[in-house]
Amino acid sequence: MEVTMALFITKRLLMALATVLVVAVLAFLLVHAMPGSPGAVSLGAGASQEAIDEVNQRLGWNDPLFTQFFSWLGSAVQGDLGISLIDGRSVSADLASRLPVTASLAAGATVLSAVLGIALGVTAAVRGGLLDQVIGGFVGLLVALPAFWVGVIFVYLFAVQSSVFPATGYVPFEVSPQDWALSLALPVITLAVGGAAFIARQTRASMLEALQQEHIRTLRATATPTWKILYVHALRYASLPIVAGIALQFIGLFGGSVIAEQLFAMPGLGQAVQTSVSTHDAPAVQGVVVIATVVVVAVNLVLELATKFLDPKLRAS
Amino acid sequence: MKLLTTTARGSAAVLTGALLVGSLAACGGGSSQAAAKADTSSLTLAIDSDSASFGFDPLRVSAAQRQFFEGLYDSLMTLQPDGSAGPGLAKEFTYNADNTVLTLTLKDGVTFADGSKLDADLVKANLDRRSDPALSAYSAVAKGGAQEITSVDVVSPTQVALTFAKPQPGFEKNLASTTGMIVGKNGVTDTSTLAATPDGSGPYTLDPSTVKGNKYVLVKNDKSPDASKYAFKKVVFSVVLDPQARANALVSGQADVAMLTSNTVDFAKSKGVGVSQIGGTVNTMISFDKTGKTAPAFGQEKVRQAIQYAINRQALVDALHKGDIPAWNALPKDSAGFTKDLETKFAYSPEKAKSLLAEAGYPNGFEFTIIAGAQTQTDLQAVQKDLAAVGITMNVKMAASTDEAFAAVATTPLGYAPLNWDNPVGVMYGAILNGFTNVQKATDDQLSAATGELAAAKDDAAVKAAASKLNTRLVESGWMIPLYEALTNQGYNTKKVAQVKFAGTNAYPLLSSYTPAS
Repeated sequence: MEVTMALFITKRLLMALATVLVVAVLAFLLVHAMPGSPGAVSLGAGASQEAIDEVNQRLGWNDPLFTQFFSWLGSAVQGDLGISLIDGRSVSADLASRLPVTASLAAGATVLSAVLGIALGVTAAVRGGLLDQVIGGFVGLLVALPAFWVGVIFVYLFAVQSSVFPATGYVPFEVSPQDWALSLALPVITLAVGGAAFIARQTRASMLEALQQEHIRTLRATATPTWKILYVHALRYASLPIVAGIALQFIGLFGGSVIAEQLFAMPGLGQAVQTSVSTHDAPAVQGVVVIATVVVVAVNLVLELATKFLDPKLRAS
Repeated sequence: MKLLTTTARGSAAVLTGALLVGSLAACGGGSSQAAAKADTSSLTLAIDSDSASFGFDPLRVSAAQRQFFEGLYDSLMTLQPDGSAGPGLAKEFTYNADNTVLTLTLKDGVTFADGSKLDADLVKANLDRRSDPALSAYSAVAKGGAQEITSVDVVSPTQVALTFAKPQPGFEKNLASTTGMIVGKNGVTDTSTLAATPDGSGPYTLDPSTVKGNKYVLVKNDKSPDASKYAFKKVVFSVVLDPQARANALVSGQADVAMLTSNTVDFAKSKGVGVSQIGGTVNTMISFDKTGKTAPAFGQEKVRQAIQYAINRQALVDALHKGDIPAWNALPKDSAGFTKDLETKFAYSPEKAKSLLAEAGYPNGFEFTIIAGAQTQTDLQAVQKDLAAVGITMNVKMAASTDEAFAAVATTPLGYAPLNWDNPVGVMYGAILNGFTNVQKATDDQLSAATGELAAAKDDAAVKAAASKLNTRLVESGWMIPLYEALTNQGYNTKKVAQVKFAGTNAYPLLSSYTPAS
C-alpha cells in the first residue's frame, strides 16, 4: 500500500515537473516571438541600432534559442529568473515580494468562499423547500455579479461611506497583522463572492446525492448525532467534487487577482503581469508565467493527493 | 426535524461568525478623513503611475516625473512657486554675449547619499552621460538634439560651463526639471546601482519600507540643508492606477492628496475634500506626416484644416471628458499664446470641411489608419464618427505592442497624445520641429520663426506676441489638431493639507508646496 502511494506520488511529481518544463519552453518561445528585442525595450524609442545591438549581444539575445533556453533554465532552477529589462532588478526577488500578496488574496478568498459556499450549499440541500429556492436565487445572483462591480460597491459602502475598511493598499503581515487583515478584507470579500456561489451550487448537488445514500439512512436510524451525520459522514461522502471545486477556485482566484489588485492598489503578481506585459519586459513576463504555473501544478497535485485520501476506492487502487 | 434545525443553526453560526470577524476587524480601525489630524509626520500622495518604473535614475524619465524625483534629487536650478527657475545646486548662472555658453556657479557643502560631494567634475560627469539614448531627460541636449550641448567644461571646482550648438537663451528653465538633476559619484560611475538605490542629495531619502511599483516611502534627509523647507517628515507616493480607486483612497483617508481625473472631481468634492485645478495639458491629434509620405492627402494643408473643422469637440467633451475644456488652441488657455479667435475660426463645420476636401482634390474623402492605445481608443472612435460624416475613413487599429505604437510616427499620418506646454520652446524643439513627431522632416518657416522668436523673447509682451503666432500657426497649419484641454486636478484632505498650489503652469505641484492645514 505504502509502495503504491510512493509510486503514485513519484509519477505525479514527474508529470508536474514535465508540465512546468513545457510551459517554460512555451513562455520562452512566446517571449521570443514578441516584436522587438531586449535592447530596444531597455533603451527605449530613441536608441541607436548600435546601442541596441550592444545590449542584445551582452544579454545573449543573438545566441541560438537552445543555448539561451538552457542558460535561463540553469539559472531558474537555482532560483534566479533573470534581470528585469526595465529597471535591472532581480525578477526572482520582485516576484518573491509579490507572491505573498496574491497568495494571501487567493487563499483568503478561497477559504471565505469555501466556508460560505459549503454553509449555503448544505443548508439548501438539507432544508429544501422555500429556503432552498431562496438560496438558489441568491446564489444565481452572486454568480452573475462581476467581481469588479462588486468591489466598487463594497469600497463605496465600507470604505468611502463608513470607513470600516481601507479603500486601497496592502499592509504586510510582519508589519502589522491587524492592518494586514484589514487591508485584505474588502479584496478578499470581493473575490470570494463569485466563488462562494460556485461552491454553494457544487455542495448542494453533492449533499443531495449523499443524503440519499443507504449508509446515511442507516446512521439516522441508529440515532447518531445529527451534526456527525451531516458533517462527518454525508459531507465526507460529498466532499470529492467540493474539494475539486475549491481547488479550481483557488487556481482561478490566483489568476484572477489582477482585478482586485488594480482596484485596491495591491502589489501582487497581477500588478506585475500588467506592468511587465505593458513594458515588454520579457524576463519578468517569463518569470510570472513560470511561477503561476508552478502554483497551479502544485495545487493540482495536492488536489489529486487529497482526492486519493478522501476516496477509499481510489486509495485502494 | 431536529436534523434540519441543527443544520440551520450550524449554518447560521458560520455566517454569524464570518460577520463577527468582519465587525471585530472593523473595530480595529480604518482611518477616516474625519479622524485625521493636521500633523506633519507624514503625507501620502496617491499618484496615477509608477514614477520609478525605470528605477531611480532621474535622467531616465521626463519632466512629468519631476515631483517624485524632486524628493530624492536636487536640480541645478529649482522651479519656483511662480513657475520661474531659481537657484538650486547652481547658486548663480551667467550667459556669454551670444547665449552659446552658460556658466554655472555651484553651491558648497552638498553631500550625496553615497557620501560624495558636489563639484564641477561631478556635474560634468552627469551631463556627459547625454550620449546615452536611454536617458530621456537628456534627449533634447544630446548630440543632434534641439538644444544640443556640445561640451561641458570644468572652469573651477565650483564652476562649470555648458556650451551649446546654437544660442539657448532661457536654457536655465530646463535645469529646473529632471534634466538638471544631479546624481552622486557612485551612481554616475555605476549607473546600474540606480536601478534599486537612489543616489541624490535631495530633501528626502528612500526608506526600506518602499514596495516597488506600489508604495514609495521617502523620509527626511538629515544631510540636506534644504530639508527644512519641506513640511512633512515622511512622504509616501502611493501608486493607484485606477482613477476611481484614487478618489476613494482620498475620501476614505488612505491618501492626503490624490491626482484626480475630471470625472471623479464631483464625487470627491461631494465628500468634502478640496480640489485645486490647473489646465496646461492639451490632448491633441498630431499630424506625423506633413509631406504625404504615408497618406498623400496629409501632404496638403487644406486636408489637415478640413479635419480641424470636421471634429465636434464640444460633443466629445460632453460625452467622454465631462469637466474638461474643448480646445481649438494648440496651447493651453492659461498660456501667453492662447487666442480666443481660434475658437470661432475653426468652429465645428462639416460643410466647411467637405468644401476644403473638395478644394484639395478629395471630394469623396480618403482613407487612412491611426494606431490607438487603450487610453485613446474611445476618443478616437468619437473622432472616427465625425470624420466619417465628411467622407474621411479613419481606421482605428489597436497597438499590438509598444514598438508598434512608437513606430506609428513613421508609418501612420496622424497620432494622438496629451501635450504639456509648460515649456513651449522645449516642446517645439524637442518634439514638434525636430523631434519624434516629425520623422518625415517637414518644415514650416512660420513655425520655426515663431519658435525662435519665443526663445529669444525678453519680456512679457514679446513672449505673448511670439506665443500667439506660434499657437495660431500650429492650428492653421494642421500640424496640431487639438481636441480638449485636460484639467489637472489635485484633490486634498482639507483637514490635513493646506490648499494645493501649482508652480506657475506646471501641472505637478512642488513637493515643498504641500503644507499642513492651519
